[in-house]
Amino acid sequence: MQTNLLSKPTNDKSSHMSDKINHPQLCQWLQSVAQNRDQQAFTHLFKFFAPKILRIARGKFPNEAQANEVVQDTMSNVWRKAHLFNQDKGAVTTWVYTVMRNITFDMLRKIQGNKEDNLSDDIWPIAESMSTESDAFDDHLENKALLSVIDKLPQSQQDVVKGFYLREMSQEQLAKHLNLPLGTVKSRLRLALGKLKVQLGEKYD
Amino acid sequence: MIKHHPKFELIQAFVNGELPASLSAGIAIHADMCPVCQQKIAQFTDQVAEVSFEEQYLDRFIVDSVTADSKTAADSLDDSTEIDFEQMIAGIVKSPAEVSVPKVEKTIEFKGQRYKLPTALNNMALSKTAHIGKLSRTRLQLNEGEIHTSLLRIEPGGGVPEHTHKGFELTVLLAGSFHDESGDYNEGDFIMLDSSHQHHPISTEGCLCYTVANDALHFTQGINKLLNPIGSLIY
Ligand SMILES: [Zn+2]
Repeated sequence: MQTNLLSKPTNDKSSHMSDKINHPQLCQWLQSVAQNRDQQAFTHLFKFFAPKILRIARGKFPNEAQANEVVQDTMSNVWRKAHLFNQDKGAVTTWVYTVMRNITFDMLRKIQGNKEDNLSDDIWPIAESMSTESDAFDDHLENKALLSVIDKLPQSQQDVVKGFYLREMSQEQLAKHLNLPLGTVKSRLRLALGKLKVQLGEKYD
Repeated sequence: MIKHHPKFELIQAFVNGELPASLSAGIAIHADMCPVCQQKIAQFTDQVAEVSFEEQYLDRFIVDSVTADSKTAADSLDDSTEIDFEQMIAGIVKSPAEVSVPKVEKTIEFKGQRYKLPTALNNMALSKTAHIGKLSRTRLQLNEGEIHTSLLRIEPGGGVPEHTHKGFELTVLLAGSFHDESGDYNEGDFIMLDSSHQHHPISTEGCLCYTVANDALHFTQGINKLLNPIGSLIY
């Protein structure tokens, strides 16, 4: 039986609430775990992430014990490897996602009868995220093909794409900068991504 | 300069952790050498992470706001799960921080030529190297059924006879270069071929490739049909 802790009563407020991940707060908690082994901060992180990880894991593992194992192992790695998180390289959500995806990958590989070789941390390193450094960013800018594709987008989508991808602003910063609601920035970005995907898929095939 | 990159669909599946280890490693190796794909992967990961954890956030928020007002069924279930979670937290915080071990750089040698092993392959078991003519192959033992993964070294002037494949064939060029009917390939290129392709790669200066294939190569021309050993060597 599945508990319905995570069941979803519909609610008008939902569209606003979904934008409220408090990134600075998550970052502060994780730093505090890394630096002070702060159990209180870890408890906050746990309460934020564990129910969500459980729900995602239930989608991948039919067995409740395995879904629990994903939560246990992911949060355990968050506690034990917090010092490997580098806030200059990305958000806490991205880092925890990486830890969770890696645990899931290795578990699936084990269950599917491949091997217990735990390859995920070599494929997706959790110490240095794959975020690009500035020289890679220059290469990116020099990629005229990509820029010409972006330039074909409607102006409103160009603004968010250029801000997000080329100037590396966060969605929150962009919303402020462009004086738009965060939801609008997100939906424009998704629209633009859809179009870029089609074009880049062809070019980079 | 790198000209061949993974399709966006592959990058998505890679970020979602949905590809087999063989293909995941192929994309990781390419991304290590390709700033464009590295950037795409980083940004797509940010987005997937944000979406994964924000949709769920909304659920908890609503449960919280409901339970704050009244005792409901959701509340008691919330409590029972909380207890589980409290125990889990108590267990976890007893464990020490992990002492990080610096990653060792591994190398692999083919007939006296030494190459740096891509870090994505660091913990994969390697078979003994087999040689035929100017080809050397070491299998990566991933146990993925019909999907076979190898490191293939072609000595200068060597090549693979013209062939097609019934399944797919991925080649990531780790070092050196080769060319076939469609053009030249250089370090970092990510070349995914399906059964509609027929090709005859030749390496003038020699090269090392990471290859993933899910079906034996099928040689298409006259005398080369006798080259079955090479087909099974490469697959
Ligand atoms: Zn690329």
